[in-house]
Amino acid sequence: MTAVLTPTVLLAPVTVTPTKPLGPSHLKGLLWTDVMFRATRVRTGAAYRYSPTTYHTCEQTSGFWEYLDRTVGDTDYSGCSEEEIGELYVAYRAEARRAPFAACLPYVEAVERHGWVHPASARVLELWAGHYRALGMHDPGLTADQPPGLDLDAAVDRLSAVDMCLDLREHGGPVYLDATRYGLALRRIVAEDGRPNYLACALRELVALAGEHDEVVLLYDAGLEADYLLLHRVLDRLGTTVRRVALGRVPIDGRITSARHGDWRGHTVGAILATLGQDHDQAALRLGLRLYFIAVLGQGAGDEFRWDVLRRSVRRAERLLAHGTEPGAEPDPTPLAEVLDRHRGDHGYVDPYRLAAGLLVRHGPGPSPELLAEVFT
Amino acid sequence: MTLTQEVLRHQVADRIRAARPDLGGGEISLPGMRAEVAAPTESGTAVVCVLRRLDLPTFIAGTCAFAAALPAERVADWRRAFTRTIFLAGNPGNLRDRFSFHHADPGGTIAWTAPATLREHAPLRRLLRLFDGGGALPPAVAVRVPGPDVRPSAHPAGHDLYLASTGVTVGESLVHLGHLLAEAVFDGLIAGGDRLAVWPVPCLVGLTGPYEALRVGADPHDPDRLRAYAALVRSGS
Repeated sequence: MTAVLTPTVLLAPVTVTPTKPLGPSHLKGLLWTDVMFRATRVRTGAAYRYSPTTYHTCEQTSGFWEYLDRTVGDTDYSGCSEEEIGELYVAYRAEARRAPFAACLPYVEAVERHGWVHPASARVLELWAGHYRALGMHDPGLTADQPPGLDLDAAVDRLSAVDMCLDLREHGGPVYLDATRYGLALRRIVAEDGRPNYLACALRELVALAGEHDEVVLLYDAGLEADYLLLHRVLDRLGTTVRRVALGRVPIDGRITSARHGDWRGHTVGAILATLGQDHDQAALRLGLRLYFIAVLGQGAGDEFRWDVLRRSVRRAERLLAHGTEPGAEPDPTPLAEVLDRHRGDHGYVDPYRLAAGLLVRHGPGPSPELLAEVFT
Repeated sequence: MTLTQEVLRHQVADRIRAARPDLGGGEISLPGMRAEVAAPTESGTAVVCVLRRLDLPTFIAGTCAFAAALPAERVADWRRAFTRTIFLAGNPGNLRDRFSFHHADPGGTIAWTAPATLREHAPLRRLLRLFDGGGALPPAVAVRVPGPDVRPSAHPAGHDLYLASTGVTVGESLVHLGHLLAEAVFDGLIAGGDRLAVWPVPCLVGLTGPYEALRVGADPHDPDRLRAYAALVRSGS
């Protein structure tokens, strides 16, 4: 008798670099991924890859560390807030000169050799792990050493073997990702000085992992669409089934800005938790935030962040937790597996939007306590 | 004969007159020279050479074979544009379904388009990036020019090709080599069966002639000076 293998789904969201506070756009991506992961793993084998280690070597992080040690020097980061470290990050991004890659190399090598993490980022990750616990989110290993499966040369070799890479390093040139056969322009992933960008980091991780899973789901900021289309083509060429889920950022005061300009100010995850935590219990907060960032805001970037709508979602969550959709309504008797399968479509993962939006339907049975416990709180 | 600013100026003026006889045979000033060979408009003619990597013997043999196989009317058009060539990093194998190439090396690492306007090359240029790098060229190579022996004697001609290496990127070396080789083929200086020995040297200063061909460009250290970047010399001369 042949064993039936459980299909496995790998969720690979874009990884936030631990250099600043988590803001609403980050939180949206994290909650989408968390609900997708927790719902999908009920139905099939699911893995959630989120490795800060993989991205420590890219310029955003290792360059920040070099900046800190050059400008701040020996200091105690263990008592710093995310905001304080984030302000240093804004200053780093505003610096006119950019340190040469050679200055960042000791940091890159320490990460590669023994999983070293600069104390400023270690502090940020520690604070994030606390937010994850408060939010009831699965911690995919924020503070663990999770090196990518391939070193840079091995990744480039694997890609070159399938004609997806153009390696000009022997001529003192860069390395390009080559999807020109699909009509996509060459994309530099390693600079002339040897500095890898975040795509090179992602490839070291995903090329190694992709073959172990039946389906890879890439979740990312919609602004990175072009790069993720490239990743899709690469993984597809390596024989992997890829699904892309692009998430729009959350505009604040009508604008989509960037962490490098300090867009989190006044809207950090820590601030959201502290503000709402005064009036609501933990379960309502967890469910309410998921309702707001998944079902209310949706996949796009159409609606800006609004405290009043967020509070309304948390109050809605309180009612759902207390007595389903309406006072006196019975919980949905449908088995959890069946409920989740309605939202899988032709793919392996469960669609978080459809699942969360289903909770907002005003009539009919309320969500089962099992669904709320397994996926939403 | 040795390289002097005067020799270099004469060479540049000769090249302009050969490519553009319509300009007349008068004196051409240095600024005039620069203006003539300046970057053309989108209607200007150019060849695009796509390289997956640079293997110098393959590039030299391929450039000679490409030039030798170009039809006469295309040669005239390209020469009028000073054999302008854009060297782009790309894998010819990934591009064959979307673009047509006039010539490719048998190993598939380098391919050349036919001469066409920059506008016509725009889709290919959008997809690729300039081929360049700060690395050094290989130390020295010897190449047999492809094609049947065309020299009347039983002894194929031998040439030494000197290439300046200081302050020159790999991409710039390709530009200099490409111009010199293509034009030498068109002028009948290099033909099938000839042997070429390539010698990267820091500078061509002190190199004695007679020169079969010279590649001359602006000296980046001084706008009023020219610099020799490549020279073709008959072996044993």
